[in-house]
Amino acid sequence: MSKIKYFVQQSWLLIVSSFCFGLLLAIANAAWSPIIEQNRINKLNVLAGRLIPKAKDFVPLEELGVEIKVKLLKGEKKKVDVYKAVTGDECFGWTFNAVGPGFQDKIELIIAVDKDFKTIAGFDVLASNESPGTGDKIKEEDFRTQFKAKPAAKLEVIKSGEARDNKILAISGATISSEAVVKIINHYVKEVKEEMQRKGLIGNDKEQ
Amino acid sequence: MTKNSDTTAGIYKETLLAGLWRENPVFRLLLGMCPTLAVTAAVKPALTMGLSVIFVLVCSNIVVSLMRNLLKPHLRILMFTLTIATFVTIADLFLKAFQPEMSETLGPYVPLIIVNCIIICRAEACASKNNLLVSIIDAVGMGVGFTLTLCVLAGVRELLSTGMIFEAKVMPDWFVPWAAMSMPVGAFITLGLLLGLVNKLTKGKS
Repeated sequence: MSKIKYFVQQSWLLIVSSFCFGLLLAIANAAWSPIIEQNRINKLNVLAGRLIPKAKDFVPLEELGVEIKVKLLKGEKKKVDVYKAVTGDECFGWTFNAVGPGFQDKIELIIAVDKDFKTIAGFDVLASNESPGTGDKIKEEDFRTQFKAKPAAKLEVIKSGEARDNKILAISGATISSEAVVKIINHYVKEVKEEMQRKGLIGNDKEQ
Repeated sequence: MTKNSDTTAGIYKETLLAGLWRENPVFRLLLGMCPTLAVTAAVKPALTMGLSVIFVLVCSNIVVSLMRNLLKPHLRILMFTLTIATFVTIADLFLKAFQPEMSETLGPYVPLIIVNCIIICRAEACASKNNLLVSIIDAVGMGVGFTLTLCVLAGVRELLSTGMIFEAKVMPDWFVPWAAMSMPVGAFITLGLLLGLVNKLTKGKS
């Protein structure tokens, strides 16, 4: 009994404070988490809308009762947010989030492909901490436009020459960041495509 | 009575000014070096970081000062950390909700305010030993001192790395931007030079 009394005497302030601070955090979280979620959705919609301008809505596959799980670059399997780009009933393509290691930190991308997963519609950077002045040029239009209308197959990085067919010209002074982006796109396009074919959302290559 | 009031006002003034110059957290105490080096590539993120630190510092000093007579000596660091972590989480959620782009720019450095030595140092050295008013004045002085230092450092780096301040062009057309100034090396060089300048200015005065 005396031990309990001693424990309460010593720690009552900590226990009461923890409860009060927890309550404060719960109130802040309840008040602001819908705004934070809306900000995230708005950002995704703006970026996805730029990549597939014909589409008016981006419907998460989760809403259609489909969950896409793919093998990440690290090896583990994880759910990927895939959106169907539609205007009315017409599908114009698909967008999905992708993540992988960059030069300094992980790079998070949003990738868009056409409705049959044959060509890449483009990509944009959701988050990256690549080197200012070099690696962060992966966000710039010059680098990103190279990916438009490229085949949704294995892309290859070149250091010089023309970015024809499946070739992507690396950013001068940022070959590692350029390769990281191409590696993420190659991996996710292949994995998401295979998973969606398995689920019957898109046709098999042989059928097409 | 008048003399006593003068002395009290003098203490408040001294406390406020200490953080700005004599005990400036970055230039004199060398505290909070992590955000000082990491978020000063441009003035906007530096200012946001400074304001976040002011908010956390004032709130944690208020709470610590109010509970100073109830604190058990061996549990005080735990209480300080709990208090600081709460207000940092609130600041982080606020930025994510109302300044999402800035929140992304600052990345992990807002949650890392929890381990910023300035805040725990002021809780231990001032708020746990002084009344509410002195604790608030100390927090404001230290916070503003930290913010101004960050802005000066960021101003130099942004100007030299982009030729702009607050994203407005300042330098003439012939100016060639120094990309290195926006990288970690630029942060170390600028901080080193500013520390040297402050030491030179204060030499023999302390």
